[in-house]
Amino acid sequence: MDIKTRDVSIPADWDRRGLPGWCYHSDALLDLEKEELFKTHWQIACHVSDLPNAGSFVSFDLCEERALVLRDASGELRAFHNICRHRGSRLVTKESGTCPNALICPFHGWVYNLDGSLRGPARPESFPSLDKDVFGLRPVEMEVWNGFIFLRFRPGPQPSVAEMLAPFEAEATAYRMASHVPTDGIWTEETPVNWKSVRDVDNEGYHVAMAHPALQDLYGSSYQDEPYVDGVSRTVGQFSPSKGRRWAVRNYKKLSRPQEHLPEDLHQKWLYFGIFPNSVIAMTPETVLFYQEFPVTVGRSTIRSATYRNRDEDRQQRAARYLTARIDRETVDEDIQLTIWSNESMASKSFEGFYLSDLEYGVRTHHNHLRKVLPVYTLEDAPEQADLAALNASMQRT
Amino acid sequence: MMAAPPPIDHDDPTAFLHMPVGKNGSGAARYAAAMQCYNNGLICAEMLEIYRRCSKFDLEDPIDLARYEEITVPAVCLPNQQEPTS
Ligand code: FES
Ligand SMILES: [Fe+2]
Repeated sequence: MDIKTRDVSIPADWDRRGLPGWCYHSDALLDLEKEELFKTHWQIACHVSDLPNAGSFVSFDLCEERALVLRDASGELRAFHNICRHRGSRLVTKESGTCPNALICPFHGWVYNLDGSLRGPARPESFPSLDKDVFGLRPVEMEVWNGFIFLRFRPGPQPSVAEMLAPFEAEATAYRMASHVPTDGIWTEETPVNWKSVRDVDNEGYHVAMAHPALQDLYGSSYQDEPYVDGVSRTVGQFSPSKGRRWAVRNYKKLSRPQEHLPEDLHQKWLYFGIFPNSVIAMTPETVLFYQEFPVTVGRSTIRSATYRNRDEDRQQRAARYLTARIDRETVDEDIQLTIWSNESMASKSFEGFYLSDLEYGVRTHHNHLRKVLPVYTLEDAPEQADLAALNASMQRT
Repeated sequence: MMAAPPPIDHDDPTAFLHMPVGKNGSGAARYAAAMQCYNNGLICAEMLEIYRRCSKFDLEDPIDLARYEEITVPAVCLPNQQEPTS
């Protein structure tokens, strides 16, 4: 399927409700979400440029699981559980770094080759001989798509990343994002809301005119959301022809100029690909970035994000890029406030649930994807928490 | 100006074994290399343990520690292949 054959139309008559409020504060549901959404769906860990040398690594924690992605001595990328085979300690404790010739567990000192095989246990004379592969690090499923490194902790219902994102392949390739380079590293922030409230806000542009003056100034008049279809959504903001009323936008519009490698229709656009359940890859002429949110508890989430830039960048482009970051940062702060307001409504017994605009159809289609994975989301009233998993399993069977 | 250090040969365990004391990450790199030397029969378990003890301390010279502990330092551990010392 390519971008033109995706059916992104909004039905004339659709159910405008959101998920029931209980879904935003149920511990039992969160356990299911961790197991059947987060661990079984593709997650963006980082970009190939975060791993420039042999031994470069990035660690990636998600819902009590932890992975590490590294470049081995021959330059190949590998992903492993960041778990020592001895007693399970994390092998790398930092978010990123370099281990020049091997991984050493900080607990007792088992040593692993960069290909994951066991080089040897500490105090080897205290063990029978250990097979280097049997006791090697456990691999995590990994796929690189246009430079982005995706991980999946357990097999799940999604096809390969390439297949899922096939409709956007041509656009992604045009940005040459695989050869982008890091800017200011991977950024994380904890926010006091359920992860779905973050996604619900991000999945609609209805609030842009109201909440994001800079985005409105940049591309508000043309903003277009395409809903989630087969796991992916797409949003386009074409720069409006006005000069820009706000300082950052005005200067950005002045400084941003056509990137030679991009086709003309992408010269003045910000573009977003939503990837079910919790990730977005966004493109501007100057940058490509990803952002995602993970649950910490029912009421807390981690937002994680990183921005990459064109490898060759002159001063003007760099200045334009700083302005994109500024506009983006402003937008993130505004969104965080919206997620708090949205999330707190879910705890109120007086709130009767969403009633969505056609401009929020993306929220509905995201929820529909959720309902397909976990049918308990369709229950209007909270089931007994102790029965929730069993109930969901029985609903999955019917 | 100092000459750039030669590129590290990933297949030669002694390259990392001789990483200069004090260099960032060198304690771990030396221990990892020592494990390879142990597997190849070049050093004994006692000397490997010395490298393990030094692995989190880039400034700790395993040769000094071995001498302090009165362990015979195998030739492969000495940067210029000096005579073994104790
Ligand atoms: S837990 Fe890793 S060496 Fe013991
Ligand atoms: Fe927003």
